[in-house]
Amino acid sequence: MKNKFITYSSLLIALAFTMPACKKNIGNLNSPVLEDYSNPSAAQLNNLVTGIEAGMRINVGTYLDVTGMIGREMYRFSGAEPRYVQDLLGAGSSTLNNNTFYLTNPWASRYRVVKNCNVLIQGAANASALTPEDKKGFTGFGKTIKAYQLLLNLNFTYTNGIRVEVDDPDNLGPVLNYDESLAAIAQMLDDARTDLTGASISFPLSSGFAGFDDEAGLLQVNRALAARVAIYRQLWPAALTALSSSFLDLTGPLDKGVYHVFGTGLGDQLNGAYFPQNQNGEVRLAHPSFATDIAAGDDRLAKTTVRTASASSGGLTSNRDLWVYKSSLAPIPVIRNEELILIYAEAKIQTNVLPDAVVALNRIRTAHNLGAYSGAVTQAALLNEMLTQRRFSLFYEGHRWVDMRRYNRLNQLPLDRAGDDVWDKFPLPLTEN
Amino acid sequence: MGKQIKQTALAIFVLLLPGFVFAQLNITGAVTDANNVPVSGASIRLRNTNTGTSSDQAGKFSLSIPGTSGTLEVSSIGFKPFSIEVSSTNAASLTIKLAEDVGRLEEVVVTGLATSVKRRNLANSVATISSKELSGVAPAQTFDAALNGKVPGAYINANSGAPGGGVSIKLRGVTSVFGNTQPLFVVDGVFIDNTATPANLNFVTAATAAGSAANQDNPSSRIADLRPEDIENIEILKGASAAAIYGSKAAAGVVLITTKRGKGGKTRVSLSQDLGTVRARKLLGVRQFTASTAADLGGSATSANPDVIAARAALQQQFTDAQAAGKLFDYEKELYGNKGFTRNTAVSLTGGNDKTSFFFSASNKDEEGIIEHTGYKNNSVRLNVDHRLTDNIKIGITTNYINSSADRSLTNNDNAGVSLGVALSSTPQFVDLHRAANGLFPDNPFAASNPLQTRDLMTNNESIDRFITGINLDAKLLEGGKSVTRLIARGGVDFYTLKTDAQFPSILQFQAVNKGTAIQGVTRNRNTNYLLSLVNNFNPSQNLGFTTSAGLTQETGNYENIIDAATQVVAGQTNVDQAGALTATDFRTKFQDDGLFIQEEASIIDAITLTAGVRLDKSTNNGDQDKYYTYPKAAVSWNLTHMGFWKGELFNNVKLRAAYGQAGNFPAYGSKFTAFPIFNIDGLPGSLVNIQRGTPDIKAERTSEFETGLDFSLFNSKLSFELTYYNKKIQDFLLLATVASSSGFASQWVNAGNLRNRGVELGMNAQPVSTKNIRWTSNTSFWMNRSKITKLTIPPVELGAFGTTLGTFRIEEGKSATQIIGIDGANGAVKLGDAEPKFQMSFFNEVTFMKNLSLRFLLHWKKGGDNVNLSELLNDLGSTSVDYDSDKDKNGVKDAQDRINSLGVTARPFIQEAGYLRLREIGLYYSFTKLPVSFIKGIRVGVSANNYWTKTKYKGYDPEVSNFGTGFSTNVEVMPYPASKRAAFHLSIDL
Repeated sequence: MKNKFITYSSLLIALAFTMPACKKNIGNLNSPVLEDYSNPSAAQLNNLVTGIEAGMRINVGTYLDVTGMIGREMYRFSGAEPRYVQDLLGAGSSTLNNNTFYLTNPWASRYRVVKNCNVLIQGAANASALTPEDKKGFTGFGKTIKAYQLLLNLNFTYTNGIRVEVDDPDNLGPVLNYDESLAAIAQMLDDARTDLTGASISFPLSSGFAGFDDEAGLLQVNRALAARVAIYRQLWPAALTALSSSFLDLTGPLDKGVYHVFGTGLGDQLNGAYFPQNQNGEVRLAHPSFATDIAAGDDRLAKTTVRTASASSGGLTSNRDLWVYKSSLAPIPVIRNEELILIYAEAKIQTNVLPDAVVALNRIRTAHNLGAYSGAVTQAALLNEMLTQRRFSLFYEGHRWVDMRRYNRLNQLPLDRAGDDVWDKFPLPLTEN
Repeated sequence: MGKQIKQTALAIFVLLLPGFVFAQLNITGAVTDANNVPVSGASIRLRNTNTGTSSDQAGKFSLSIPGTSGTLEVSSIGFKPFSIEVSSTNAASLTIKLAEDVGRLEEVVVTGLATSVKRRNLANSVATISSKELSGVAPAQTFDAALNGKVPGAYINANSGAPGGGVSIKLRGVTSVFGNTQPLFVVDGVFIDNTATPANLNFVTAATAAGSAANQDNPSSRIADLRPEDIENIEILKGASAAAIYGSKAAAGVVLITTKRGKGGKTRVSLSQDLGTVRARKLLGVRQFTASTAADLGGSATSANPDVIAARAALQQQFTDAQAAGKLFDYEKELYGNKGFTRNTAVSLTGGNDKTSFFFSASNKDEEGIIEHTGYKNNSVRLNVDHRLTDNIKIGITTNYINSSADRSLTNNDNAGVSLGVALSSTPQFVDLHRAANGLFPDNPFAASNPLQTRDLMTNNESIDRFITGINLDAKLLEGGKSVTRLIARGGVDFYTLKTDAQFPSILQFQAVNKGTAIQGVTRNRNTNYLLSLVNNFNPSQNLGFTTSAGLTQETGNYENIIDAATQVVAGQTNVDQAGALTATDFRTKFQDDGLFIQEEASIIDAITLTAGVRLDKSTNNGDQDKYYTYPKAAVSWNLTHMGFWKGELFNNVKLRAAYGQAGNFPAYGSKFTAFPIFNIDGLPGSLVNIQRGTPDIKAERTSEFETGLDFSLFNSKLSFELTYYNKKIQDFLLLATVASSSGFASQWVNAGNLRNRGVELGMNAQPVSTKNIRWTSNTSFWMNRSKITKLTIPPVELGAFGTTLGTFRIEEGKSATQIIGIDGANGAVKLGDAEPKFQMSFFNEVTFMKNLSLRFLLHWKKGGDNVNLSELLNDLGSTSVDYDSDKDKNGVKDAQDRINSLGVTARPFIQEAGYLRLREIGLYYSFTKLPVSFIKGIRVGVSANNYWTKTKYKGYDPEVSNFGTGFSTNVEVMPYPASKRAAFHLSIDL
């Protein structure tokens, strides 16, 4: 009897030690993990490039809504989300919050892409099977996009600054002030240009990069972004230098450029800035001043359409729908020729080469069914004209608020309700403090 | 010839054999209480055998036992067990009188994985809920909702009123912030999965776009699949001191469910039928417009903007036209005012012989919701078989198949204006949204969707096929004079397939972009677990007993959720391949946990019980999957009345007890990985870093609980008290910390600090009146909990709701774990409330008149505890709140406008006290025991009402609400599926 007991007990104890031992390591069953990029293949890096391109689109609609609202280009009404018409317009005593979706979502999405760029850059450096030219291609692309993403966040927080060194999540770099941040972004673009020069572009890009998906094309995109950064820094000659290596084409199509493209394919996204016309509840409307301020005959009025019934919310009313993106698959520009022409005009005005500026402005005016510029050819008058053309040409592309801020003209933006405010910047998100 | 005689003789002998060898004693009798009131459902069993039966509604029973005499053991919940010798002298009409046991001191409570102890020697406060308390008063919507108000120490909250339920259960405070806060459910030894799987409605509602990333799909709890009618009792191990032996799954407590078993004897059939109605508990009401307030929707009367002037005129006209035509509607009533019909049918069979007994049940439930086209159906079949292989080996097998289906419509938060409540919030009474003569619904000019159209044309269904089976083997390995060693092996499988089906046809107003959306989700989940243990009982003397148990356990889980979301769906089609665009997601989790345990229980002179045990656990979810975590426990109980020195008659039981134990909570699957989910563009496959950063060294959180108490009963157990204090510390609690988003991540799992819950639980069971004609039993409980973050290694974290503008939770050192903070003027974000109730009390009473008529009711009082109510805000912003135009503070500004003006200034108006006093359940039942036909043993009829009366200051639909489902951040309301009240008629017949 005792022997039997000992037999059973020892069997059980033996089981106890053998059964758990045969367990396998259960890895992540759902996707690659960071460790997979310690020595990546070209295919893995290609996936990161596509991830970057796809990720750049996340919350772009929110970015456009936020800059469009504060820049008084448009209204975003939402039945379930009062903070568009409250906080963003500074209704009553409302202020911008440092932990609310309108700031945190776009901000975090941009840094998420920055992180992917950093993983790509580090992965390219570690990849033992890649040629030096291939590595340069991945690195140059990663740095260019990283700079662009940082610039969008800097547009939000302005003099509150951004972090640029964010490669090590446990040891984030300092928050740089506005000028330092812009300088760092400009430097990053210059570094990227160095990398892209002589690089081999072996990775696939979406149709949003059509015409720019090789070494020469990516260099042009890089310089176009550098030109935008230069005018933000008021480095006018530098802007002109950058433009000269970009895809600026004074006579070419205005919509030539690089875009976020959308699709209905697996894992793809739709244009988050698109709503059909005459919707209710969830709507994007043109700010009433858009139609009243635009010159007669300007074809850019078609960026808005008259609604069957006006829409109201929070004491705001408009009878025009925003109609910039006309389908859920319509691309959203990253940077395009029309902006480059206007950057060219601005730099020329600021360097006092006014006839060149007028040529550029007239290129825009005539393209939009307006007569040639007939106002005073002075720096001041042309700056006004340039800002007006930027307002209508780049309507709801995220520029108006930044432009008015650059020229200290936020106080010229219309206030719709007593107690409304025009904010000049967002606070740093709560998590950055 | 001789051969023939021999054969005939043999045949006769064989025929007569049973008479000689298997002599039988036929017993008939009745079970009553001290006042001769029949006790139904009492178990009558021949000692040490499987032979037994139960008493019918008149308390009567009959039983045949082998042999000519034996000892019957009679037991029933609420009575002391009783044994009686039977022989031919008393077998014909046995009268068994049971003594009441109001404090349930003689009840056997499971304390180990394979051991149990009588309540009078128990060292912990373990709540036990009988089937009568669970479903015998006024059946709740689901089995988990039926626990509410019945478990001292629990904070139970219904997430919404949607058919199919959805309940959050927190035992003794929050045990984890983002880890699992729900207790482990174990049914007959099988670990049950309780994952809430969302239908991915976010695809349509964009609910997570602008705020919390938490799921707001209002999924039901999987535990609600169980049928309350099948449950014999529920034991609730509220904390680590009682549940340590469950190791790393027990930090949030363990709910042990025992289903009904066969009782042997003659086969009994029981039929029951419930019919009832369900209605909205409360509607908020809608704003009554005037021509001028209608015009105000277009903008200020003083505006010079021509658009505004035109809009005002049009709205005014629209109102006057509607008024003239008598077309002012109450859309809230139209949406939530449905009077649903409920039906519940169950049949059960129980019987068996001395070797084998069985319990079989089949049931069908069909309930409509308070929103048209919503409802819940459940079909369940159960077969529990117990078989005695030999005298020493018993096998029990439980099997349960469940098929359920819930249509839950579209409620809760959304950012697309499509959920019924959000659309309703901006829809004034003077617009006509009804289906036109051409069969089409008009577009709603005041919202992104027409809620009537959405309700009628959409589908949001979840259906389950679930199979739960378990086996329990109890074998006596060796038996000496003073020692018995048994092998107890237990294992089971819980497997289900959950199908979610959400359909939004292209004709819906909000499908202008997607042109028809179909979301089909399939979830497959398999949980398995087994336990192998050896239990040795050693009784060296009458006054000394040892129970030693040791064994090993393993639990595995394998979950896969595949969701196909199609848009541009071909008109009239629901199949996801009938579409122009398709997005698929596939999410899988898998784990394996292994444990070893050993436990020693010693009983000295039946008065002192000492327990010590330890469990070792490891899990593939831990950063280090091979590391064993150790969870010890120790307990002592001292029953003074069983000591020799105790004198006096007043107290018949006085017990002091103390227990300490540790339990854990494994990190969530995937906590240790920095993943790269798929993000494609133009048909190219892309990998984009996840917003959640992996923590490679993540470890389990550890709960240590100390519990002590005093239990005593007086007046021969007619009055008993149970007083408990606990102190529960959670070390290294798991937190999904928000991280600086410039890192590219939004969150990261961390072991963030320490958290403490302290509380008291007081229970009083009394039988104030016990006469022949009136018997009144009353259970009163009081409990309260206070939590505190005692250490936080990271900066304070805001989580759980929509940010400080609207009120949210903040985990902050030195503060309550459930504090609600919000902005408040110049003070910045400060504490404005706390979800934790100040205390809770419940009163359960049963009064039986004239033996047959019994009235039962449960009153539940939750004092304090705050909610974040955003329904009111949305109604204010949509200009439709019922008190929009009133001016209670007489400041010349409409109240709704006052509240809107505080948006962005203070969150005070949104954080509202959500205490309540609620008559949860009331039922009146009559049992017919004298019946004209003998084959009917009993008939019981009853009426009941559930949630019919509630007193609360809370301004939302119901103080019980959770926009984010189960988990940490309950108590947030955003346009929920309104809570309901239920009334039912019951009929049950025993054959």
